[in-house]
Amino acid sequence: MATLDLKQIRKTYPKADQETLKGIDISIESGEFLILVGPSGCGKSTLMNTIAGLEDISSGHIVIDGREVSQVEPKDRDIAMVFQSYALYPNMTVYGNIAFGLKIRKMPQEEINTEVQRVAKMLQIDHLLDRKPSQLSGGQRQRVAMGRALARRPKLYLFDEPLSNLDAKLRVEMRHQIKRLHQQLNTTIVYVTHDQIEAMTLADRIAVMKEGEVQQLGTPNDIYSAPNNMFVASFMGSPSMNFIAGCVHRNDAGQPYIEMLDSNQDPKQLSLPLAMSEYEGKDIVVGLRPEHITDKVMPDSDTLTRLELSLDVLEPTGPDVIAMFTLNDQEIACRLAPTFLAKAGQVVPLSFDLSKAVFFDAKTEQRLDIV
Amino acid sequence: MNNLKLSRLFLYAILITFCLVYMMPLVVMVMTSLKTLPDIKAGNIMSLPQEWVFDAWYKAWGGACTGITCEGVKGYFWNSFQMVIPAVVVSTLIGAFNGYVVTKWQFKGSNLFFSLLLFGCFIPFQVILLPMAAVLGKLGMANTTMGLALVHVIYGAAFTTLFFRNFYIGIPDELVKAAKLDGAGFFTIFFRILLPLSTPIIMVTVIWQFTSIWNDFLFGVVYSGADTQPITVALNNLVNTSTGVKEYNVDMAAAIIAGLPTLVVYVLAGKYFVRGLTAGSVKG
Amino acid sequence: MEQTITHSTTSNVVRLSFADRLQHWLPKIVLAPTMLITVVCIYGYIFWTALLSLTNSRFLPSFNFVGFAQYEKLMDNDRWMTSIANLGIFGVLFIVVSIALGVMLAILLDQNIRQEGAIRTIYLYPMALSFIVTGTAWKWILNPGLGIEKLMHDWGFESFKFDWLVNSEMSVYTLVIAAVWQSSGFVMAMFLAGLRSIDSSIVKAAQIDGANLTTIYWRIILPCLRPVFLSAVIITSHIAIKSFDLVTVMTAGGPGYSSDLPALFMYAHSFTRGQIGLGAASAMMMLAGILAILVPYLYSELREKSSE
Repeated sequence: MATLDLKQIRKTYPKADQETLKGIDISIESGEFLILVGPSGCGKSTLMNTIAGLEDISSGHIVIDGREVSQVEPKDRDIAMVFQSYALYPNMTVYGNIAFGLKIRKMPQEEINTEVQRVAKMLQIDHLLDRKPSQLSGGQRQRVAMGRALARRPKLYLFDEPLSNLDAKLRVEMRHQIKRLHQQLNTTIVYVTHDQIEAMTLADRIAVMKEGEVQQLGTPNDIYSAPNNMFVASFMGSPSMNFIAGCVHRNDAGQPYIEMLDSNQDPKQLSLPLAMSEYEGKDIVVGLRPEHITDKVMPDSDTLTRLELSLDVLEPTGPDVIAMFTLNDQEIACRLAPTFLAKAGQVVPLSFDLSKAVFFDAKTEQRLDIV
Repeated sequence: MNNLKLSRLFLYAILITFCLVYMMPLVVMVMTSLKTLPDIKAGNIMSLPQEWVFDAWYKAWGGACTGITCEGVKGYFWNSFQMVIPAVVVSTLIGAFNGYVVTKWQFKGSNLFFSLLLFGCFIPFQVILLPMAAVLGKLGMANTTMGLALVHVIYGAAFTTLFFRNFYIGIPDELVKAAKLDGAGFFTIFFRILLPLSTPIIMVTVIWQFTSIWNDFLFGVVYSGADTQPITVALNNLVNTSTGVKEYNVDMAAAIIAGLPTLVVYVLAGKYFVRGLTAGSVKG
Repeated sequence: MEQTITHSTTSNVVRLSFADRLQHWLPKIVLAPTMLITVVCIYGYIFWTALLSLTNSRFLPSFNFVGFAQYEKLMDNDRWMTSIANLGIFGVLFIVVSIALGVMLAILLDQNIRQEGAIRTIYLYPMALSFIVTGTAWKWILNPGLGIEKLMHDWGFESFKFDWLVNSEMSVYTLVIAAVWQSSGFVMAMFLAGLRSIDSSIVKAAQIDGANLTTIYWRIILPCLRPVFLSAVIITSHIAIKSFDLVTVMTAGGPGYSSDLPALFMYAHSFTRGQIGLGAASAMMMLAGILAILVPYLYSELREKSSE
């Protein structure tokens, strides 16, 4: 398996005003599963195409396993790619599709045969080898596309939104299959998706991209609990993180807090960790995930605030109940126990666990570090 | 990278060479039409005129011999227009209504009818020439402009119906169903809902029909008389009459005159022309 | 109460029924003229011509039935056999060269060419012309003595000879040149549309698999275009079989009848030489030719559809 180093990758399309890729720096270890995630237009597919060599870069270096490949043709980069639309050759059988790349490389016929059988068994498509793509279902086509990539035994695998065209149930199944394959074969993978659940469940590390730049590169856990800025914080997690804006005040006892108005315009105070005192007078945004606002009764501490608030909407999801209430004229989401008996409009006590909160500078939207 | 530039250059070179090949006959025609006969005999097809004269054009328009009469092609030019315009209008109208019925008001046998009609697009017209001539004779329309126009309408209806049918199939049936529920009847739905949406296909059909009918020769030579011939027939007579000296410049001028209307339509509305070529190939 | 209800429902029923019935019949009424014309002017006329071909009509139609005598006469007729042979030569060359040229130009034009629109317009404009105009132009260009032969002489190739138009061996090939010039643009347009409908990620996958450009075109793209090839063959063979205008103006079938084609044979015998029966028989043979191509094609299309 191979390492991948992307150094200061920049790309501007001819006749474009803006750079599509603004200096991407990512290093991946051998066997690592990296996911590029971000909204449409953030440049993730462009970045993938440049790694594959299907598009040029304006400047920077792409290094696969220590070898500089920025000027090398796709076929000589020793990579394989799985496309969103599967891109199977319609006039060839499943066998032909998988064998095509091997034939081009002049592999002897017997070896090709062994290789195709091996891969087909691994993906459970060995009974489909004589069929043409038009005779296969979506899930089967996806597996053939993966088989074509696996047969080449390349140094690097690239997946471009491979599950987007599948229905929800099939997507979950294929996600598990991909994860299992990765564990089995320990391959280096770069994977593009816009689905943050895929990102969280499959990745060793995630690169969150926006407008051609990497906003944060880290493990799923890092991205989830310690997002670098408000964009990353709001992108990952569903329902998304709550943002409560306010100015840091200190009460007479030296406890920092921010003030909010509930649905009746009554002021409520949210106690902040003591370490936030250094930001007194600053406009901040408190980022708190719905699972940290609950109906649980917890021991008192300086990071716990209990408030009585009226619930607007309740959405039972099965494992819990997502409830919405209003603070500062904003909708805030919280997670309640599935057995929680409440009706819309009812006032209930909620616990805000600020030890899990992330704080952002209101102007720069960057995370504030607290000791 | 240099390899890439070289192959791009090569690519453009081939494409441009073919452009020259395709343009060559037109250029030769124009140049020849502007030369004098001695000039033609002295030079070759690619040489520029020694003097640029329009004599051939005047003669082609008003004085050249097309068979027995020597009045140039202007009369026949107008004959073509007289024949083409009604034929285009009527065949387009028929095609529109037929396409409408076959796609939105299907009844038992309407699909069969369409398949039978479609076959009419493929037959070699030689198999209907003789009977049609007999019928036109009986109707007293032999060798008349009306008769020729009628023939074009009859055999154009198959194509125009095909075009409109392929177009209307793409318009959701729900539109018509909603209108029916609202109480609209057969003609109301056509004129108030489908027709306003039909501009693209009307353009395609009109241009396609104009071009085919203006350019036709077979029906023209069989069904018209000496006075009513369309310009394609007159051109053939002009070029192939063997009285006296062959005036190549006049031949070329006459050919350009004959080809000008459809060429102008192509230059102005080329994209509809192209759509027409592919409009017939949508199968259903 | 009950009486009023039944009264109103019956009168409603009567009113709806009339309007409904009209709406029901309108579509059929609208279609009727065309249906009538189709039946008469296509199928009726074919039947009529078939009948004529079984008679010994000369200048006027007669109904003196002679069985298949005209068809036998056709087979014995040297001019007819020449026209069939010419159709074969002309047809095959025309189809093959048009398609080869069309595919090549389409592939070249598909490579992100800047002036693609203008170039396409130039390749296609010949289709807007009548075959008579095209024939006239090429007749002049290939003029033995003043045309391309003289051009080559003036350019230094003294021994160049191009008298195909008056050479009975070569006259039919002049038709190929003119016809290819006129129709190859159309074939190009068909293939360009076909190329553009191919999923671009298939090409990317092939690039990553290691195929070079030639392999990609030959093993993947062109096989995907099989339906377009089929359509192009059907359409060009249709043009070839119906060829009448071009041969009439360029060579009039000459010298002699060395470049004769079936359509010209039919016209000459039906309308100039007073052999209506023979002409009708030749027309039926032309129909048979078209059916021989069309029927297998339709059959295979229908079979594919029903197996999907």
